[in-house]
This record gives sequence, C-alpha cells and structure tokens, in this order.
Amino acid sequence: MLKKRSKVVSLEQAISNIKDGSSVAIGGHTFRRHPMALVYEIIRQKKKGLKLLGWNNANDMDILVGTGCAESIETSYVGMSMFGLANHFRKAVENGRIKVNEHSETTAIDMFRAGSLGLDFMPTKASLGSDIIRTNPRIKEIECPFTQQKYAAVKAADVDVAIIHAHFSDEYGNIGLDRNRLMENEMDALIAKSAKKVIVSVEQIVNEEFVKNNAHLTFVPGIYVHSVVEAPYGAHPTACDSRYDYDLNHLEEYHNATKESNSFIEYLNKYVYGAKDHYDYLDKIGLQNLKKIKRPEVIVYG
Amino acid sequence: MDNQRGYTLEELLVSNLARELKDEEVGFIGLGTGGRTFVLAVGVPTVASRLAQLTHAPDFVPMLGPIVDPDLSHIPESYTDHELLSWPCRAQISVMDCLDYWQRGAINIGFVSGAQVDMYGNVNTVAIGDYENPKVRLVGPIAQTNHMAFADRVFIFQEHEKRSFVEKVDFISGTGFLGGSDDREKAGLRGNGPYKVFTNLAILDFCPDTKRMRLASVHPGVTIEQVQENTGFELIIPDHVPVTPEPSEDELMLIREIDPKGLLLEAKIK
Repeated sequence: MLKKRSKVVSLEQAISNIKDGSSVAIGGHTFRRHPMALVYEIIRQKKKGLKLLGWNNANDMDILVGTGCAESIETSYVGMSMFGLANHFRKAVENGRIKVNEHSETTAIDMFRAGSLGLDFMPTKASLGSDIIRTNPRIKEIECPFTQQKYAAVKAADVDVAIIHAHFSDEYGNIGLDRNRLMENEMDALIAKSAKKVIVSVEQIVNEEFVKNNAHLTFVPGIYVHSVVEAPYGAHPTACDSRYDYDLNHLEEYHNATKESNSFIEYLNKYVYGAKDHYDYLDKIGLQNLKKIKRPEVIVYG
Repeated sequence: MDNQRGYTLEELLVSNLARELKDEEVGFIGLGTGGRTFVLAVGVPTVASRLAQLTHAPDFVPMLGPIVDPDLSHIPESYTDHELLSWPCRAQISVMDCLDYWQRGAINIGFVSGAQVDMYGNVNTVAIGDYENPKVRLVGPIAQTNHMAFADRVFIFQEHEKRSFVEKVDFISGTGFLGGSDDREKAGLRGNGPYKVFTNLAILDFCPDTKRMRLASVHPGVTIEQVQENTGFELIIPDHVPVTPEPSEDELMLIREIDPKGLLLEAKIK
C-alpha cells in the first residue's frame, strides 16, 4: 500500500520555506498563543522585508520589528498589555521605519474572513467615518446595491504564509485543540484558511488513531496545512489556553530589554541567536520556570 | 476626598454608572490593558454591572470579552487563560462572534477609554501628533471602533487632563460625533455613539443638537472652573450644574462585597 506523506518537519526546515518579502500572518492574540518558536526561528534565519498581518498582536510583532525582519504591519493592536507600549513597534513607527495599516478588530478579522472565503472583500459598518478608513488602502467606502447604505469594503488579505500554534496534530497536519480552549481559536482557523501556505507548531505530535477518534477537536484539517513542527511550549512566553499561562516574568524581562539597544542585543544573544533550536531555548528558560506556568490538570494525549 | 467623604472616586463612578444600566441590556467590557486604564475601562464597568444586577437590573447581561454573562458574585483572582476558562458563565463564544454581536446590534452598552477624547466625543488610541510623523505611537484601534460604531450608548472613561481632553483628536479610531450635528448619521453608523464621559472631576454628556460636550455634573468638592481648567476646549456649561450624586450606604456596602480585595477597583488582578 502507498504511504501517506508526513508533514512533520524541523523548525529550521519549516521556516526556510518563507521567502524574504513574504506576507506572513501570525495567529494568537495579545499575550495568547502566538507561535513564538516559529517567530524566533524567523529571526535566526534573518528574514527581511516581511509584511506582517494579524488581528491583535504583542511581543510577537514587536520582536520581528526590533530585529529588522518586518517591513509593514497590519493589525488592530500592537502593545504589551499591562506593561505598556511595545517599544520597538513604537520607535519604528515614530521614526518612519515601518508602515502600518490601521484596523479595528472587525476589519482586521474581515480581511482574513474574506481571504478564507475566497472572496475579494467583506462588507462591514465598522470603521465608517473614522481615520482608519481614511488612511488604510485596504478599506474603501461602498454603497449597498439593495439599500444604498454606506458600507466599508475590506479587501481580502493576501497571505503567503500563515504561522499558528496549536495543541496537537497527527503527522499529516490535522491540527487539533484541547476541549478546554479560549475564544480566539476560530480566528486562527481563518488566518490559516486565508493563506497560500500554512505552518503550524504544536505542543505535541499525536498518533493518527487519536485524531481519528477525536476528529471533533480538529479545527484546521490537513488539507490546509503544509508543515507541522513539534514545539512543546512553542507559544512561550505567551499563554497556550489552559495548558500553560503566560510567563509574566519573562514578558516583563523582554519588555525591559526592549527599552535600550544594548539590553535588547543581550536578550537576543541569550534567548534567540544564542539558542541553536527550540529545545535549547527551553533549556535557557529552565524547567523550574516552565513548571511555574504549567497547568497540572491538563490531559496529555498519547 | 476619599477619607473625608468615606468613599473613593472609583466607588462614586461605580454607583453612578450602575444607575444608568437597565434591566435586560447587554454591556460589553474588554479584558485588556493594565493599571489605571484597567480600573477605569474594566474594573468600574464590571463592578457597576454587578451592582446593577443586585439593585435594579437582575437581567443585565455583561460580556467580559467573549465570556457571556459570567457569575459576577465571584471575581477571579487573575485574568489568565485558565482563570477565564474556569469562570462560571453562560457562554464562551469566539472573538469573531463578539464582533458580530456588535455589528448585529445585540450589544447595547460599550465602555471605552482613550489617550485623547475631543469635544465631539471622538476617541484616539492610535497616535499623538501628526499621524504620518507621530510624536507618540500608541497601541492601535483595538475593538474600540466597534464599541463606538455599534452601541446604543457608549460610556467613555478618562482622566480629566488638558492633554487628554482636546479640541480635535489627532486620529479618530473610535468614531464619536465626528464634527458634530448629524455627521455621525451621515457617515452611515447605526449606533447612537458616545453617551456620557466619566472622569475624576465630573460627568459630561453631549448637547442633543450640536453634539458638543457638555458638563452634566461635578463631583463633590470639585468646582466648574476646575473642570474647565482641565479641559482643552470650551465646554458647554448649563445654567445649573448639579453635584454628582454620592453613593448610598447600601451601594457602598454592596460595592465592597462585590470587590472585597480591590482586584478590579484597585487593579490588584494579575
């Protein structure tokens, strides 16, 4: 019998498929389930000119701006939540080094919604009258052909590569989430479905039988997925639903490091360039710290 | 003012906000940010929602982000994923659903806060200074655009300072009344827009015709002059400006039972 093709690749291989200048959509929101292991590998491979898209972002986009990987940003938020403004993002915009297309959460989601539907645009009332529609070339005012009411048309996102992080996958890229999960997951599915290529990091690769017996947990089926990387704690320092919480100490360490270029270089040399792969990164974070954020009551699948 | 009067500014805001919330209305409270913004845009509305449920509006439905109608008799110790997922509630919906509820008109009340608010209730969380060459780049529009586009009534929470109460915001990320009068309607927006502004000095509303910001009441111990001095544009000041009603003994007792550890009103949540 012919064998099915495995989609499991190394972190390095997965990211080597991203070309400089690509548009890259990042899953997760605020400090929740950003694919940080994939982000750090983008930095290690020194990608340039990336057009970053998302719907609500934080340290994931900030570090890509700070390391010179990003050329433009489209999302509704780049901030460090309770720690304040995202320093690299802020400085880069103030110095004119990156271009931002502003979005409300609705219009940011609508660009992926249109992309995932294979449509050219989505109509919405959000952003009408605001400076978002005035400044963002992705949004234009249109008239409803039935009621003649004003609408904003949000042009579909043109995503070369989507990177998302999830709980598990089989080796064929059927991506699953634990039952105990939080709110933004549907957005990650839209981001994935709007992309030409989808790279997913997961907490664990599970056997095929598990997926077959729990198919209701699959939220992005393998037909959309190009490669899968096993990366336990792959969202660290952001949270991963109830598997582990955000690592506030580390997020604060990052935030403080971004205040000056010397401390940022030190940070990168320690955790990103200085870590040869994701497991080396986890060693640097340390088992004790990982244990602190882990939720013991989570079921671990075989 | 706290020690002399026996209640805090936050308690004054909570009691006045709670009286505005009606039975069977739906109010949307964000989950984000920290510090002072958290107290004003998350803490005060959450405690006011519970106070309204206990005093006059048992079927007032709060949405804490995508957590619909959580059990407010118990506030979680932190807003980590695990705590939010474990919070007893009636539905955990997706963020996309939340935003669709807004657009559908299913949510009545929005609570927002910004770096700037202007005389027509437009709000800015994007940039200070010239947008193309900003002095300070802020976080972005987030869901504020949605609150302000679709809610029947939007409550704005703001520190009362000249630099945050400006004649015209540098970037309209949350659409208020634009340039006043019927500008908002002409832009094609369905919701009624900003309703009241709650600050540390006063409560303000908007003139029904021109939509200019108007002084509605001054907090106990605050003068009209003080409010105007801390506002970067000329406020409409009616002939008679009442004093903001103080919280009753019963309200104060309930507020302290709702948030006994100051998780919400003193930002002690993690």
